[in-house]
Amino acid sequence: MKMKKLGVLMLGIVALAGCTGKASESNTETTSKANETTNTEQENLAGKEITVYSAGPDGLSEKMKVAFEEKTGVKVNLFQGTTGKILAKLEAEKGKPLADVLVLASLSSMDSLKQAGELQAYPEAIGKDKLNVDWTDADDFYFGYSASALGITYNTKNVTEVPKDWSDLANETWKETFNMPDPSLSGSALDFLYGYTSTDQGWDMLTSWFENGMQIMGANKSALDAVITGEKNATISGVDYMAYKAKADGEPIDIVYPESGTVVSPRAVGITKTAKEVSASQAFVDFLLSDEGQNLVADAYLLPGNSEIAVKDRASLEEIQQIKVEWKDSEDKQVEVLQEFGSISQQ
Amino acid sequence: MIANKKYFLGVSFALGFFTLLPIMALFHYAFFPEGQFSLTGMIQIISEKQTYRLLSQSLKLGGWVVLGTLVISFPLALITTKTKLRNYGWLDILFTLPFMTPPYIGAMGWILFMQKNGFLMQLFPKLSGLSAPFFSLFGMVMIMSLHLFPTFYLMLKNSMLTLEGSFQEAAKIYGKNSLFNWVRISLPLLIPSFLLGALFIFVKTLAEFGTPVTFGTRIGYNVFTTEIHTNLASWPVNIPKATFLSLVLFVLCFVLWLIQVKVIQRFVYGTVSGATKEFTVTTNKWVHAVSIVFVILLFLLAIGIPYFSILMTSLMTVRGDGLVFSNLSLVAYRQLFTNQNGGFSAFLNSFLFAACTGVITATLGFFAGIYIYKGTRYSQKVVDFFGLIPNIVPGIVLVVGLMLFWNTSWLPVSFYNTKAMAVITYCTLFLPYAIQYVKNNMLQLNESIFEATDVFSRTKLGAFTHIYFPLLKRGVLTGMMMTFIISMRELVGSLLILPPSVETSATFIYRQFEQGNVNTGMAMAVVTIIITCIFVIAIEKSKK
Repeated sequence: MKMKKLGVLMLGIVALAGCTGKASESNTETTSKANETTNTEQENLAGKEITVYSAGPDGLSEKMKVAFEEKTGVKVNLFQGTTGKILAKLEAEKGKPLADVLVLASLSSMDSLKQAGELQAYPEAIGKDKLNVDWTDADDFYFGYSASALGITYNTKNVTEVPKDWSDLANETWKETFNMPDPSLSGSALDFLYGYTSTDQGWDMLTSWFENGMQIMGANKSALDAVITGEKNATISGVDYMAYKAKADGEPIDIVYPESGTVVSPRAVGITKTAKEVSASQAFVDFLLSDEGQNLVADAYLLPGNSEIAVKDRASLEEIQQIKVEWKDSEDKQVEVLQEFGSISQQ
Repeated sequence: MIANKKYFLGVSFALGFFTLLPIMALFHYAFFPEGQFSLTGMIQIISEKQTYRLLSQSLKLGGWVVLGTLVISFPLALITTKTKLRNYGWLDILFTLPFMTPPYIGAMGWILFMQKNGFLMQLFPKLSGLSAPFFSLFGMVMIMSLHLFPTFYLMLKNSMLTLEGSFQEAAKIYGKNSLFNWVRISLPLLIPSFLLGALFIFVKTLAEFGTPVTFGTRIGYNVFTTEIHTNLASWPVNIPKATFLSLVLFVLCFVLWLIQVKVIQRFVYGTVSGATKEFTVTTNKWVHAVSIVFVILLFLLAIGIPYFSILMTSLMTVRGDGLVFSNLSLVAYRQLFTNQNGGFSAFLNSFLFAACTGVITATLGFFAGIYIYKGTRYSQKVVDFFGLIPNIVPGIVLVVGLMLFWNTSWLPVSFYNTKAMAVITYCTLFLPYAIQYVKNNMLQLNESIFEATDVFSRTKLGAFTHIYFPLLKRGVLTGMMMTFIISMRELVGSLLILPPSVETSATFIYRQFEQGNVNTGMAMAVVTIIITCIFVIAIEKSKK
């Protein structure tokens, strides 16, 4: 009986606190239920320890860790690296797996982990219903908690005529003044390559960029850094959240999404098959999908997986012209694309 | 001499634990993939075209860097022995700094200076044409030569110093003019030093990771170390391939080491005698002027330019605004010391790991050094070899081995994914330094001391604490400081073996570049360099 009273009370609080008229009755009910479960779990979780391998952005992973630790009392061991580094580490540690939760910047890698049986499903994930369906596994093995869109990042000091479309960079005026992150080092650049080359003009355009002197330069940050310092004028498939952050820091940088459409690269979270602390890991996933977690995502200039969350100082998903990409089962095709890219770039 | 069987076993186990295990793990992984001997993987790598490209690129780089260091070291050695500049002892300290600077930081400094819109262009817009030709193999060779020349230089200088004396006197009596004497007598006697120095630089270049990963990847010049790292640390991962490439590199460096041993056996003569050490010092004004110009130029290239870039970048608020006075601030340092992004804890970690490594390697180096002594007996040679492995095998190869070994599933306890793993890795990589210093120190002591010790010391412990340690203290301490310095900046191992949530200053710098906080990374670099300088000066002071 007491529980029921408590439930009613909480329902009232929830209704008072956040729910605008929109929220239907059933919705509020699930929220209150969710709160109850997290509350009871919190008591058991305190003092537990999970290991999270997270592919940035740095500030976001750190904030997630701190906020989650405060909320639940779970200690998070955080390893930060690029998606490639994390996958490499997983492979190297196969004898003695360590990671409980994986936060990757590439959905296709996450999907391949699922196919390889490295993940475990979490059908009870709280908040999964609000996520963008295209970014989330139908069998609940992973959840697209955020995404970044790839565009043309350019130096506002050096560029007077802002490019409107990818084809602009094949023009003589752009000769040898732009670069692209190395898709073998950057998961998002690979996602772009994979998505963009699935369009009709994809490979031809890529070749003409190379012919126009496009340089391949390290991972995302190296490429962006060259644009910040004015060494290059623009980056193809620049990651937008990095550009927005640099812009906020006062660097002479801006980003444009080409008219003919670009790739939106989803980022996903999942729990490993070998996770030792399953309930604490699940709580971490819940936290990433919660409004609090999603707001942190938006603060980091990423596109939140939950589209109800407002974005900050950036284009929302609807404003970006997208190329439709099928991420599921794409890993093998991505390897092929990468090899093809390698042979073109070495010519 | 302390040389019984128990002592031998103890020392070899201790050294083998660090240096031999990873090599064995590497061979096991490569040739016994499913518990059964197989060569298929190796054959595949050997038959691949790409392996040969890597091989030729690595060798080409090595050759050029040998030439580059020679071009710098030979004149410099002449200047500091044959001209009036030889009185400035601090020049030697100054010119060890480039070697002490972490190579990836030096390379970064050069990149920031030379790139389009870099510092050079901001300061002297007319020189912008230099940028494009610099980003080529030439630039890489130059950066690496400027980093590696100090060892070659010191080697040449030392042998030039010992050469003088009686040889020079004999030449004076029997020879013609002094130039002729020098070309006919001194130069040939220097050949072993040239050969050894060249081989040393060559192997060092093959094993180098920092410059190839920062500069080489930018100009698309891959070598073994970077390719191994790529196969280990970026998608798609290929651990077997990394292992095989490591083995190829191991064999290559091992062969070079064997050649080096042969060279020492054949060519090294006893050139040190008790005779006078008179020097012929030129007093020619022109020679003096040219020498000064050379030294200043070298200073600018080896220290001035990279340090300038590093310092300026660390002071910049908005990088896109470039070198403007109003754009300079201490923000990055404040971020570092208030531990934003974990900079300060990374620094503390480095300090802790380096200190542990220093103590462990110094202890091991002390006992191993005493055992090896002159290394005439077979068992002494075995111990010597165990301790030398890290000097023969490139760091990244050992790190791969360590990863493989400590990840084996049958191990009851593993250090992998703990902080101890970092210490083990550093110990493995830098053990030779500690041993070397004790060994050299031993060789300076008179034989009779050891004989007296053997006769008179009542217990072994007593001999260690009352005789050996006080006598060898200096060597042990110098070795300890040396391992400390290089552990503080270690990159390649740290990138691969550090557990989650743990960073060192080197990985911090590297990651700040990855994450775009270049100024914070450079602030950390400045702090690291300052600490290094303090230790270098301390080492020099302790020598006196």
